[in-house]
Amino acid sequence: MSDPDHSDSTVAIFFCRQLDPEQDANRRSLEKELGPKVRFFPLPCSGRIEALHFLKALETGARKVYLVACPEGACRYGQGNVRARKRLDFAKALVREVGMSDDCFELVTAPGAGLASMDEIARGLLGLKPHRA
Amino acid sequence: MITAERKPFAEIKAACAPYRRILVVGCGTCVAECAAGGEKEVALLASQLRLDAGKARRTIDVKEVTLDRQCVYEFIDQIFPLVDQYDVILSLGCGAGVQAMAEVLPKIHIVPALNTTSIAETMEQGVWREDCRGCGDCKLDRFADICPITRCAKGLFNGPCGGSKGGHCEVDPDVPCAWHLIITRMEETGRLDAMNEVEPPADWARTQGKGPRKIVREDQKTP
Repeated sequence: MSDPDHSDSTVAIFFCRQLDPEQDANRRSLEKELGPKVRFFPLPCSGRIEALHFLKALETGARKVYLVACPEGACRYGQGNVRARKRLDFAKALVREVGMSDDCFELVTAPGAGLASMDEIARGLLGLKPHRA
Repeated sequence: MITAERKPFAEIKAACAPYRRILVVGCGTCVAECAAGGEKEVALLASQLRLDAGKARRTIDVKEVTLDRQCVYEFIDQIFPLVDQYDVILSLGCGAGVQAMAEVLPKIHIVPALNTTSIAETMEQGVWREDCRGCGDCKLDRFADICPITRCAKGLFNGPCGGSKGGHCEVDPDVPCAWHLIITRMEETGRLDAMNEVEPPADWARTQGKGPRKIVREDQKTP
Protein backbone atom coordinates (compact mmCIF):
# COMPACT_ATOMS: atom_id res chain seq x y z
CA MET A 1 0.00 0.00 0.00
CA SER A 2 1.34 3.42 -0.89
CA ASP A 3 0.25 6.73 0.54
CA PRO A 4 -0.23 9.03 -2.46
CA ASP A 5 0.93 12.05 -0.44
CA HIS A 6 4.25 10.39 0.22
CA SER A 7 4.71 8.19 -2.82
CA ASP A 8 7.91 9.99 -3.87
CA SER A 9 9.53 9.72 -0.47
CA THR A 10 12.57 7.55 -0.32
CA VAL A 11 14.14 8.15 3.08
CA ALA A 12 12.45 8.43 6.47
CA ILE A 13 14.45 9.70 9.42
CA PHE A 14 13.11 9.16 12.92
CA PHE A 15 15.19 10.95 15.49
CA CYS A 16 15.40 11.84 19.14
CA ARG A 17 14.47 15.50 19.58
CA GLN A 18 16.90 15.81 22.45
CA LEU A 19 19.80 15.57 20.00
CA ASP A 20 19.19 18.97 18.52
CA PRO A 21 17.10 21.50 20.44
CA GLU A 22 16.85 23.55 17.23
CA GLN A 23 15.87 20.57 15.06
CA ASP A 24 12.67 22.23 13.91
CA ALA A 25 14.61 25.03 12.20
CA ASN A 26 17.70 23.00 11.33
CA ARG A 27 15.96 20.41 9.19
CA ARG A 28 13.94 22.92 7.18
CA SER A 29 16.58 23.68 4.55
CA LEU A 30 17.00 19.99 3.77
CA GLU A 31 13.25 19.49 3.61
CA LYS A 32 13.02 22.39 1.14
CA GLU A 33 15.95 21.04 -0.87
CA LEU A 34 14.73 17.46 -1.18
CA GLY A 35 10.98 17.89 -0.86
CA PRO A 36 9.13 14.63 -0.23
CA LYS A 37 12.26 12.54 -0.83
CA VAL A 38 13.10 12.92 2.83
CA ARG A 39 10.70 12.80 5.75
CA PHE A 40 11.67 13.68 9.30
CA PHE A 41 9.88 12.30 12.33
CA PRO A 42 10.99 13.93 15.59
CA LEU A 43 10.43 11.77 18.64
CA PRO A 44 10.49 12.94 22.27
CA CYS A 45 13.03 10.13 22.82
CA SER A 46 14.23 7.37 20.48
CA GLY A 47 12.66 4.90 22.94
CA ARG A 48 9.26 6.10 21.72
CA ILE A 49 9.81 4.28 18.42
CA GLU A 50 7.71 1.19 17.70
CA ALA A 51 8.29 -1.57 15.18
CA LEU A 52 5.12 -0.42 13.46
CA HIS A 53 6.68 3.00 12.71
CA PHE A 54 9.39 1.29 10.67
CA LEU A 55 6.95 -0.93 8.79
CA LYS A 56 4.55 1.93 8.08
CA ALA A 57 7.43 4.01 6.73
CA LEU A 58 8.21 1.21 4.26
CA GLU A 59 4.56 0.78 3.39
CA THR A 60 4.24 4.47 2.57
CA GLY A 61 7.13 4.48 0.17
CA ALA A 62 10.38 4.84 2.11
CA ARG A 63 13.23 2.72 0.77
CA LYS A 64 15.45 3.41 3.77
CA VAL A 65 14.47 4.19 7.36
CA TYR A 66 16.95 5.65 9.81
CA LEU A 67 16.56 5.96 13.54
CA VAL A 68 18.94 8.52 15.00
CA ALA A 69 19.48 8.00 18.73
CA CYS A 70 21.75 9.27 21.49
CA PRO A 71 24.85 7.23 22.33
CA GLU A 72 24.23 4.43 24.84
CA GLY A 73 24.44 5.74 28.37
CA ALA A 74 23.54 9.25 27.24
CA CYS A 75 19.76 8.97 27.03
CA ARG A 76 18.11 11.80 28.93
CA TYR A 77 15.39 9.38 30.03
CA GLY A 78 17.75 6.55 30.98
CA GLN A 79 17.09 3.57 28.72
CA GLY A 80 15.29 5.03 25.69
CA ASN A 81 18.04 4.32 23.19
CA VAL A 82 18.51 0.79 24.51
CA ARG A 83 14.81 0.14 24.00
CA ALA A 84 15.00 1.73 20.56
CA ARG A 85 17.65 -0.77 19.49
CA LYS A 86 15.47 -3.69 20.62
CA ARG A 87 12.48 -2.32 18.73
CA LEU A 88 14.62 -1.88 15.63
CA ASP A 89 15.83 -5.48 15.93
CA PHE A 90 12.21 -6.62 16.20
CA ALA A 91 11.24 -4.62 13.11
CA LYS A 92 14.17 -6.15 11.23
CA ALA A 93 12.96 -9.63 12.17
CA LEU A 94 9.49 -8.78 10.85
CA VAL A 95 10.74 -7.65 7.44
CA ARG A 96 13.04 -10.67 7.20
CA GLU A 97 9.94 -12.81 7.75
CA VAL A 98 8.39 -11.36 4.61
CA GLY A 99 11.55 -12.05 2.66
CA MET A 100 12.86 -8.47 2.57
CA SER A 101 16.34 -7.35 3.45
CA ASP A 102 16.63 -5.86 6.92
CA ASP A 103 19.23 -3.32 5.87
CA CYS A 104 16.38 -0.97 4.99
CA PHE A 105 16.36 -0.11 8.71
CA GLU A 106 19.40 1.41 10.34
CA LEU A 107 20.17 2.72 13.80
CA VAL A 108 22.48 5.70 13.75
CA THR A 109 24.17 6.84 16.93
CA ALA A 110 24.53 10.61 16.97
CA PRO A 111 27.55 12.27 18.58
CA GLY A 112 25.42 13.31 21.57
CA ALA A 113 22.76 15.77 22.64
CA GLY A 114 23.43 19.24 21.26
CA LEU A 115 26.65 18.24 19.47
CA ALA A 116 25.36 18.16 15.90
CA SER A 117 22.39 19.67 14.07
CA MET A 118 19.82 17.43 12.44
CA ASP A 119 20.73 19.05 9.14
CA GLU A 120 24.35 17.92 9.49
CA ILE A 121 23.38 14.43 10.62
CA ALA A 122 20.84 13.96 7.83
CA ARG A 123 23.16 15.30 5.15
CA GLY A 124 25.78 12.86 6.37
CA LEU A 125 23.31 9.97 6.11
CA LEU A 126 22.18 11.01 2.65
CA GLY A 127 25.70 11.63 1.39
CA LEU A 128 25.00 15.31 0.69
CA LYS A 129 27.34 18.26 0.97
CA PRO A 130 27.02 20.34 4.12
CA HIS A 131 24.52 23.17 3.94
CA ARG A 132 25.95 26.67 3.71
CA ALA A 133 23.94 29.20 5.69
CA MET B 1 -4.46 -14.83 31.60
CA ILE B 2 -4.21 -16.90 28.44
CA THR B 3 -0.87 -16.47 26.70
CA ALA B 4 -0.08 -17.01 23.06
CA GLU B 5 2.65 -16.46 20.53
CA ARG B 6 2.33 -15.46 16.94
CA LYS B 7 2.75 -18.17 14.35
CA PRO B 8 5.60 -17.77 11.87
CA PHE B 9 4.65 -15.44 9.05
CA ALA B 10 5.25 -18.15 6.44
CA GLU B 11 2.55 -20.33 8.03
CA ILE B 12 0.07 -17.45 8.17
CA LYS B 13 0.87 -16.45 4.60
CA ALA B 14 0.34 -19.98 3.32
CA ALA B 15 -3.05 -20.22 5.06
CA CYS B 16 -4.17 -16.87 3.62
CA ALA B 17 -2.70 -17.42 0.16
CA PRO B 18 -6.01 -18.27 -1.57
CA TYR B 19 -7.64 -15.06 -0.36
CA ARG B 20 -7.42 -11.43 -1.42
CA ARG B 21 -9.66 -9.70 1.13
CA ILE B 22 -8.40 -10.36 4.64
CA LEU B 23 -10.02 -9.21 7.87
CA VAL B 24 -7.40 -9.25 10.65
CA VAL B 25 -9.14 -9.49 14.01
CA GLY B 26 -7.31 -9.02 17.30
CA CYS B 27 -8.43 -9.42 20.88
CA GLY B 28 -7.95 -6.68 23.44
CA THR B 29 -7.82 -8.89 26.52
CA CYS B 30 -5.35 -11.69 27.40
CA VAL B 31 -3.42 -11.86 24.13
CA ALA B 32 -3.09 -8.08 24.09
CA GLU B 33 -1.49 -8.21 27.55
CA CYS B 34 1.06 -10.75 26.32
CA ALA B 35 1.75 -8.66 23.19
CA ALA B 36 0.60 -11.36 20.79
CA GLY B 37 -2.83 -10.35 19.53
CA GLY B 38 -3.76 -6.81 20.57
CA GLU B 39 -4.23 -3.74 18.44
CA LYS B 40 -0.49 -3.21 17.89
CA GLU B 41 0.10 -6.79 16.84
CA VAL B 42 -2.87 -6.65 14.48
CA ALA B 43 -1.34 -3.57 12.86
CA LEU B 44 2.07 -5.24 12.58
CA LEU B 45 0.70 -8.38 10.97
CA ALA B 46 -1.50 -6.35 8.59
CA SER B 47 1.54 -4.31 7.64
CA GLN B 48 3.59 -7.45 7.01
CA LEU B 49 0.81 -8.85 4.81
CA ARG B 50 0.68 -5.63 2.78
CA LEU B 51 4.46 -5.46 2.42
CA ASP B 52 4.57 -9.09 1.35
CA ALA B 53 1.80 -8.59 -1.21
CA GLY B 54 3.48 -5.43 -2.49
CA LYS B 55 6.73 -7.32 -2.95
CA ALA B 56 4.91 -9.91 -5.08
CA ARG B 57 2.95 -7.14 -6.88
CA ARG B 58 -0.26 -8.66 -5.59
CA THR B 59 -3.21 -6.51 -4.56
CA ILE B 60 -4.79 -7.38 -1.25
CA ASP B 61 -7.35 -5.66 0.90
CA VAL B 62 -6.51 -5.91 4.59
CA LYS B 63 -8.73 -4.47 7.30
CA GLU B 64 -7.73 -4.32 10.96
CA VAL B 65 -10.19 -4.72 13.82
CA THR B 66 -9.56 -5.44 17.49
CA LEU B 67 -12.45 -6.72 19.60
CA ASP B 68 -12.50 -6.21 23.35
CA ARG B 69 -12.93 -9.98 23.77
CA GLN B 70 -12.92 -12.46 20.96
CA CYS B 71 -14.32 -15.27 23.12
CA VAL B 72 -17.64 -13.53 23.92
CA TYR B 73 -20.39 -13.56 21.30
CA GLU B 74 -21.63 -10.05 22.12
CA PHE B 75 -18.25 -8.60 21.15
CA ILE B 76 -17.99 -10.69 17.99
CA ASP B 77 -21.28 -9.16 16.88
CA GLN B 78 -19.34 -5.97 16.15
CA ILE B 79 -17.75 -7.48 13.05
CA PHE B 80 -21.01 -8.81 11.56
CA PRO B 81 -21.35 -5.84 9.15
CA LEU B 82 -17.80 -6.45 7.85
CA VAL B 83 -17.76 -10.19 7.37
CA ASP B 84 -19.49 -10.24 3.97
CA GLN B 85 -16.84 -7.91 2.56
CA TYR B 86 -13.93 -10.28 3.29
CA ASP B 87 -12.83 -13.71 2.09
CA VAL B 88 -11.13 -14.82 5.29
CA ILE B 89 -10.72 -13.81 8.91
CA LEU B 90 -7.22 -13.93 10.31
CA SER B 91 -7.70 -14.23 14.05
CA LEU B 92 -5.17 -13.03 16.59
CA GLY B 93 -7.29 -14.43 19.41
CA CYS B 94 -6.53 -17.45 21.56
CA GLY B 95 -7.94 -20.86 20.66
CA ALA B 96 -11.16 -19.97 22.46
CA GLY B 97 -11.45 -16.75 20.48
CA VAL B 98 -11.00 -18.50 17.15
CA GLN B 99 -13.58 -21.15 18.03
CA ALA B 100 -16.07 -18.62 19.39
CA MET B 101 -15.86 -16.69 16.12
CA ALA B 102 -16.28 -19.91 14.16
CA GLU B 103 -19.41 -20.65 16.20
CA VAL B 104 -20.91 -17.25 15.46
CA LEU B 105 -19.68 -16.92 11.86
CA PRO B 106 -20.32 -20.30 10.20
CA LYS B 107 -19.82 -19.18 6.60
CA ILE B 108 -16.33 -17.73 6.61
CA HIS B 109 -12.94 -19.39 6.92
CA ILE B 110 -11.16 -18.32 10.12
CA VAL B 111 -7.39 -18.76 10.20
CA PRO B 112 -5.59 -18.70 13.56
CA ALA B 113 -2.53 -16.47 13.59
CA LEU B 114 -1.48 -17.42 17.13
CA ASN B 115 -0.36 -20.54 18.94
CA THR B 116 -2.12 -20.52 22.31
CA THR B 117 0.35 -21.65 24.93
CA SER B 118 -0.74 -21.41 28.55
CA ILE B 119 -2.45 -19.79 31.51
CA ALA B 120 0.25 -17.51 32.80
CA GLU B 121 1.23 -14.55 34.92
CA THR B 122 3.17 -11.47 33.89
CA MET B 123 6.52 -11.70 35.66
CA GLU B 124 7.90 -8.44 34.30
CA GLN B 125 7.45 -6.47 31.12
CA GLY B 126 7.97 -8.91 28.28
CA VAL B 127 8.12 -12.04 30.46
CA TRP B 128 5.20 -14.40 31.03
CA ARG B 129 5.36 -17.68 32.93
CA GLU B 130 2.91 -20.56 32.84
CA ASP B 131 1.28 -21.04 36.23
CA CYS B 132 -1.80 -23.17 35.70
CA ARG B 133 -2.74 -26.18 33.57
CA GLY B 134 -6.45 -25.80 34.25
CA CYS B 135 -6.60 -29.26 35.83
CA GLY B 136 -10.04 -28.64 37.30
CA ASP B 137 -9.04 -29.74 40.81
CA CYS B 138 -7.05 -26.88 42.31
CA LYS B 139 -4.94 -27.79 45.33
CA LEU B 140 -2.79 -24.70 45.52
CA ASP B 141 -3.57 -24.31 49.21
CA ARG B 142 -2.04 -27.72 49.80
CA PHE B 143 1.15 -26.68 47.99
CA ALA B 144 1.72 -23.23 49.48
CA ASP B 145 0.14 -21.60 46.41
CA ILE B 146 2.71 -22.99 43.98
CA CYS B 147 1.35 -25.50 41.50
CA PRO B 148 3.52 -28.62 41.23
CA ILE B 149 1.60 -29.84 38.18
CA THR B 150 2.64 -26.77 36.23
CA ARG B 151 5.87 -25.67 37.83
CA CYS B 152 7.55 -28.97 38.69
CA ALA B 153 8.95 -30.57 35.53
CA LYS B 154 8.01 -33.97 36.95
CA GLY B 155 4.63 -32.91 38.35
CA LEU B 156 5.43 -34.38 41.76
CA PHE B 157 2.83 -34.18 44.53
CA ASN B 158 4.73 -35.43 47.57
CA GLY B 159 8.02 -33.63 47.91
CA PRO B 160 11.03 -32.96 45.72
CA CYS B 161 12.71 -35.51 43.48
CA GLY B 162 16.12 -34.87 45.01
CA GLY B 163 17.70 -33.74 41.78
CA SER B 164 17.56 -30.00 42.30
CA LYS B 165 20.79 -28.05 42.72
CA GLY B 166 20.97 -24.72 44.53
CA GLY B 167 17.19 -24.45 44.45
CA HIS B 168 17.04 -24.98 40.69
CA CYS B 169 15.48 -27.75 38.65
CA GLU B 170 17.74 -30.47 37.23
CA VAL B 171 15.63 -30.59 34.07
CA ASP B 172 16.09 -26.88 33.37
CA PRO B 173 18.59 -25.06 35.59
CA ASP B 174 17.02 -21.72 34.66
CA VAL B 175 13.81 -22.74 36.42
CA PRO B 176 13.51 -22.64 40.22
CA CYS B 177 12.65 -26.02 41.77
CA ALA B 178 8.92 -25.86 42.51
CA TRP B 179 9.36 -27.98 45.63
CA HIS B 180 12.15 -25.73 46.89
CA LEU B 181 9.70 -22.84 46.54
CA ILE B 182 6.85 -24.81 48.16
CA ILE B 183 8.89 -25.80 51.19
CA THR B 184 10.39 -22.33 51.61
CA ARG B 185 6.95 -20.76 51.50
CA MET B 186 5.51 -23.36 53.87
CA GLU B 187 8.29 -22.52 56.33
CA GLU B 188 7.70 -18.80 55.95
CA THR B 189 3.96 -19.19 56.55
CA GLY B 190 4.38 -21.63 59.47
CA ARG B 191 2.77 -24.58 57.72
CA LEU B 192 5.68 -26.97 57.35
CA ASP B 193 3.74 -29.67 59.27
CA ALA B 194 1.46 -30.00 56.26
CA MET B 195 4.37 -31.69 54.49
CA ASN B 196 3.68 -34.81 56.61
CA GLU B 197 0.35 -35.35 54.89
CA VAL B 198 0.40 -37.62 51.87
CA GLU B 199 -1.26 -36.16 48.80
CA PRO B 200 -3.24 -38.77 46.82
CA PRO B 201 -2.90 -38.96 43.04
CA ALA B 202 -4.76 -36.33 41.05
CA ASP B 203 -8.15 -37.12 39.57
CA TRP B 204 -7.18 -36.66 35.95
CA ALA B 205 -10.69 -37.54 34.86
CA ARG B 206 -11.57 -33.95 35.68
CA THR B 207 -9.26 -32.82 32.88
CA GLN B 208 -9.18 -35.56 30.30
CA GLY B 209 -11.22 -38.23 28.62
CA LYS B 210 -14.64 -36.59 28.53
CA GLY B 211 -14.28 -34.11 25.69
CA PRO B 212 -14.48 -30.39 26.32
CA ARG B 213 -15.24 -29.34 29.87
CA LYS B 214 -18.26 -27.13 30.29
CA ILE B 215 -19.51 -24.95 33.11
CA VAL B 216 -23.23 -24.32 33.37
CA ARG B 217 -24.49 -21.76 35.87
CA GLU B 218 -28.27 -21.63 35.96
CA ASP B 219 -28.16 -18.46 38.06
CA GLN B 220 -26.20 -16.71 35.31
CA LYS B 221 -28.25 -17.93 32.37
CA THR B 222 -31.00 -15.88 30.77
CA PRO B 223 -34.39 -17.64 30.78
